[in-house]
Amino acid sequence: MEQKESTDLVQLKVHGVVHDPDTDTRIVILRDAQNAELLPIWVGAAEGIAIKMALEGIVTPRPMSHDLIRSMADHLNARVVRVVVTNVKNSTYYAAIHLLSRGTEHSVDARPSDAIALALRTNSPIYVTQDVLKRRSAWNLDAWLEKLDAKNFGKHEV
Amino acid sequence: MITEMKVRGLMFDPYNNAYIVILRVEDNADMLPIWVGKSEASAISFALEGVAAPRPMTHDLMKAVLDAVDAKVISVVITDLNDNTYFAKIHLQYEDSEYSIDSRPSDAIALALRTNAPVFASEAVLRKQTSEELEQWLEDLKPEDFGKLDS
Repeated sequence: MEQKESTDLVQLKVHGVVHDPDTDTRIVILRDAQNAELLPIWVGAAEGIAIKMALEGIVTPRPMSHDLIRSMADHLNARVVRVVVTNVKNSTYYAAIHLLSRGTEHSVDARPSDAIALALRTNSPIYVTQDVLKRRSAWNLDAWLEKLDAKNFGKHEV
Repeated sequence: MITEMKVRGLMFDPYNNAYIVILRVEDNADMLPIWVGKSEASAISFALEGVAAPRPMTHDLMKAVLDAVDAKVISVVITDLNDNTYFAKIHLQYEDSEYSIDSRPSDAIALALRTNAPVFASEAVLRKQTSEELEQWLEDLKPEDFGKLDS
């Protein structure tokens, strides 16, 4: 069962967070190790900032919300083992955070933005199911990429 | 010595482009204003108004993580005020132990409202932060400043 699941999953890295020029949202760009797969996920401004700060290793004087979740997990001896982008429905992505506590694994439903913000703070791997990757391409990704100026990449502005 | 506070509501502060969470002592009407950012205000506002988002928001996730491992929020305490920064502690019960976790008051309040945990303020905070500052601020406020919590 575990074997089957792992072959169905593709590990992704957070490539960056870009500002969507059309809306007040951020786009988290996820990529696989071979740069063959690209998964952009639209998130809110606050969630985008939470991810960007973790990516850039920015430590705030006071704990931000996802730092607090990590701190709670640390205190309670629960470990984030992985996060998985599990589904996409009507352009909404779904994720699960897998927690290991007292030898038992728990799966907690989350938005991908929270799952990714937490994964980056706990050095946990981020996966996506093959199924989600397949259905993502139903989107007009090429048109979107064309629209997004090259200069928007690497700017990571929030 | 700690005093239980009730979350009375949220206001928009147009001068600082921020939001103010108003905490109030039940018996003597002392108020404790806490300035928070927009997304934190929205997290508190959702809980105050009992709005359930279609997908779990960050503090709903925080609660879900605690529920998953069977930890319970006993209380949250606004513990200190330093250079206009407030400090809070979230008290958790897990197995047979109690844990106290450092947090911003905005996260602590957003979580307390979702877990029906009481919110307290330490005497030190209430002493430092009298209501005078808030009253002066309220006097300066124009009518059009009200009702602007759009998130």
